[in-house]
Amino acid sequence: MSGEAPLATPSRPKMPTRLPAAIILLCLLAFFASALPWLQQLSPLQLVSIFWSYDGDEYASVLAHFSWAPRISMALLIGCALGLSGAITQQILGNPLASPTTLGVESGGQFGITMATLFAPGLLALSPDIAAVAGGLLAIGLVILLTWRLGFSPVTVILAGLVVTFFLGAINMALLLIKGEWLGNLFIWGAGSLAQNNWSPFFDLLPKVLIIATLMLTLVRPLQLLQLGQTSASALGAKVSLLRATSLFLVVAMTSVVVSRVGVVAFVGLAAPVLARLLGARTLTERLFWSTLAGAGILLAADTLAYWTTLLSDGSLVPTGTSTALIGGPIILLALQGFRNDHHMPGHDASPTGFLPPRRNPFQIAGLLSALLAITIVLSMSWSPGLEGWNWTPLTQWTDAWVWRGPRLMAAILAGMALGMAGTLIQRMTGNPMGSPELLGISGGAALVMVALALAGLDLGRAGQLAAATLGACGALGLLLLLARKHRFSGNQLLLGGLALYVFMDAGLRLAMATGGTVASKLLNWMYGSTWLISEIEAFSLLALVVSLGGVTLLTLRPLTLLPLGETSASALGLQVPRARLLLLLLAAALTAASTVVIGPLSFVGLIAPHLARVLGQQTVGKQLIAAALAGGLLLAIADYLARLLVYPNQLPAGLLAALVGGLYFLWGLGRHGKN
Amino acid sequence: MSINLKTLLLGSLFLALPAFGMSQSWTHEGGTLNLDAPPKRIVALNWAATETLLLLGITPVGVADKTGYSAWVKEPELPANVANVGTRVAPSLETIAELKPDLIVTSTEMAPAHELLERIAPTYVISVYKPDSRPFDKAREMLLVLGAMLDREAKAKAVLTDIEQTLKQKRDLLKQANQTDPAIALISFQDNRHVRIYTKNSLYQAALDSLGLTNAWPTLGNYWGFTSTGLEAVAQIPNSRLVVIEPLVPGLADSLEESPFWTYLPPVRNQQIYRIPSAWSFGGVHQIKILAETLTDALLKGGSNNVR
Repeated sequence: MSGEAPLATPSRPKMPTRLPAAIILLCLLAFFASALPWLQQLSPLQLVSIFWSYDGDEYASVLAHFSWAPRISMALLIGCALGLSGAITQQILGNPLASPTTLGVESGGQFGITMATLFAPGLLALSPDIAAVAGGLLAIGLVILLTWRLGFSPVTVILAGLVVTFFLGAINMALLLIKGEWLGNLFIWGAGSLAQNNWSPFFDLLPKVLIIATLMLTLVRPLQLLQLGQTSASALGAKVSLLRATSLFLVVAMTSVVVSRVGVVAFVGLAAPVLARLLGARTLTERLFWSTLAGAGILLAADTLAYWTTLLSDGSLVPTGTSTALIGGPIILLALQGFRNDHHMPGHDASPTGFLPPRRNPFQIAGLLSALLAITIVLSMSWSPGLEGWNWTPLTQWTDAWVWRGPRLMAAILAGMALGMAGTLIQRMTGNPMGSPELLGISGGAALVMVALALAGLDLGRAGQLAAATLGACGALGLLLLLARKHRFSGNQLLLGGLALYVFMDAGLRLAMATGGTVASKLLNWMYGSTWLISEIEAFSLLALVVSLGGVTLLTLRPLTLLPLGETSASALGLQVPRARLLLLLLAAALTAASTVVIGPLSFVGLIAPHLARVLGQQTVGKQLIAAALAGGLLLAIADYLARLLVYPNQLPAGLLAALVGGLYFLWGLGRHGKN
Repeated sequence: MSINLKTLLLGSLFLALPAFGMSQSWTHEGGTLNLDAPPKRIVALNWAATETLLLLGITPVGVADKTGYSAWVKEPELPANVANVGTRVAPSLETIAELKPDLIVTSTEMAPAHELLERIAPTYVISVYKPDSRPFDKAREMLLVLGAMLDREAKAKAVLTDIEQTLKQKRDLLKQANQTDPAIALISFQDNRHVRIYTKNSLYQAALDSLGLTNAWPTLGNYWGFTSTGLEAVAQIPNSRLVVIEPLVPGLADSLEESPFWTYLPPVRNQQIYRIPSAWSFGGVHQIKILAETLTDALLKGGSNNVR
């Protein structure tokens, strides 16, 4: 609002007036928009008094008092709770992307409730908080365990949090897919809805939030010391680890209590502190205070949006979780502009020297991987459960077995190889060993286009899907390269791609989940890769595609080796940098798209396979490419086999299993990497 | 209703008439189907199809989500020796093939797998639930066509006659008791705060129509015939009777009683809350009979002011 220049104040930076103005305006606008439908039935004065009284003779008044007013209050209360938790989390970890959502706490809470619904319904009736807090603690526990040795290095924590979110999310999805009918209510709850018909949930939640918030505020002074950096804070007598642990516990408690009441209302805890900071909140007190209010404003706005959309879609519930995700996405992207690029990916500054396992003979490694792949193929083709138990199919009968086991296995292997190569390409192009099609949102770009096609009811066939997916992947990768020019491919910007993808996919999924029917199950099945639908023709066309793309990739070894040296050195060595970049971009996008069509966007294979190739001692580009392709193929071959037999005769999407296995490996790798 | 039924019956029979010779040909949503003899080994990939086969007195060799059927659809009962072929969204093709079926019954929901299913056995595609469909008419068509395909035409007609008679009898009862007004809202609780409201494009609508009742909910829902919404939405239909379909959420009645939103709700004040046992809302024709019976019983017995 005001043009006050913050730089001109030498002594004590003044808070710009736009901060309170913008946040109060947000709250008021949201409130007014939410009150609008009621003004037809009640006078403005009545509507204000509706918060403490109602007129029993007028049903509109009863309705407003018991459904609208508690919903508004709930939105404000939860918004405040999440905004405060988010600001505290960012302070503890010194990272603008830290939040209950990105640390996996919300997924954890959801996981806890899902487990309790299935295995301990008694506990849920007793107190939903216990299950949710236990789940939240599990999530944050995993994150802490994994990042312990790195001293909670900010970006590592976020990475671990994202992986834990994907991982627990994948287990949630697997349960929903298998036990759908039994978990029907969880579809709505998981989508996050603030609908109310009584004040009791609000008055039940209020004291809990107040107590936790008070405890959080007692930590403000010690938290201020943290701003000085860990060493100085320790020198001043702050017990940094204990302080962090306590604050994190409070954040988990707050988030889980909220989640257990209204389901997952994601991204408010991330967006609120980001908004406060963008608007100019500087000191810790300012940030805590304004984040809390910004949280209330954002959630009220999101809830009003959800409420209006619900009205416009003939009363069919649009969950608040959808609209918070839709509002959260742009705020995250907005945040990108405001952040200095001072964080490094784990291993980034040390790479590649700090991450060099002993070199090994490439023929031995390739031979080993091929042998394992061959064993998996033989097992997958021969040893399978049937109606009369497990049986062995001898080689002579493979022609019969091929129809059902062959094409899907072949497609899975090819998708794995494509992801392995795409991952290697992207890691080399970005010079970052944590870059991958999944975490950077390139698979997400492909998936978004395909989801949009599916929701629009367009059926293009596999070839059309592939083209559309390639376009989506190109778009995402191009956007990333554009950002890279500005931010040099490291730190937060890199993660933002993956995060933004996650936000938007989340929004779509939540909407489908709340509407009910089989849309959600179908979408989930597809998102996690339905290899079972692949026919021979499709498998063979994929073979042709991946082989030719792989062939072209092997021709790009020279630019791949030169590019990480930097633009100047590379062109000095005779490389036409822009043209080489474009070619590599297209290649990586096409490979990613080809695999996403088969296996979905969330498999982690593109992250793990190149990593595995390095661990196995394949350092130069060509060797890494081949080893990564073989490792990727092997991983997905195993995933496809397990998908078929683990819950026979039901089957899981192979991509989901790959995400579970991949998540575990990544978590383990992260922990191990920390030891070095 | 009866005219409707006859035209439909005739229509489907003409469609279904044998072309010539031994081989019979049927057009359906997924193309054309040729059968030399009535199939004996049938696999059903959704619960509406499973129900329809059982109504015809035929036990399928395999069904999708077998335990789910017994838990949710319940009636007609599924014998224990039927094989399970996996979930309804992703059945195991290999298991279906292992059963060596001579007919597979599925819907367009399974469209991406049609080619693969056709390799196993002739596949009959009929979707009771899809956009712009009228579920009861489609379910009836499925019963008649399967009856003709499987040489059970008499049985199919008998099932329909039985349902028609039940509906007529219940309609008369309701009319005598003067229970046709006010309109009915069929809802099921998802949790304390959310409900599904069955809309005019639901399977249940057929029962309401035949019983001379009106659906209180004004708009159409998704193609499964319901709208998911917050409980407070029932305040939009004050002049209605609320029929709550089981299963209920534990502790529901108590939590409703605590809220003046509920106690002031016109249907609650008028003692017009009814509770009925479940009928599978996404099933076949038999569910209409179940619903008509339980709904009439509940309406005749009289309502209360809570879900008890």
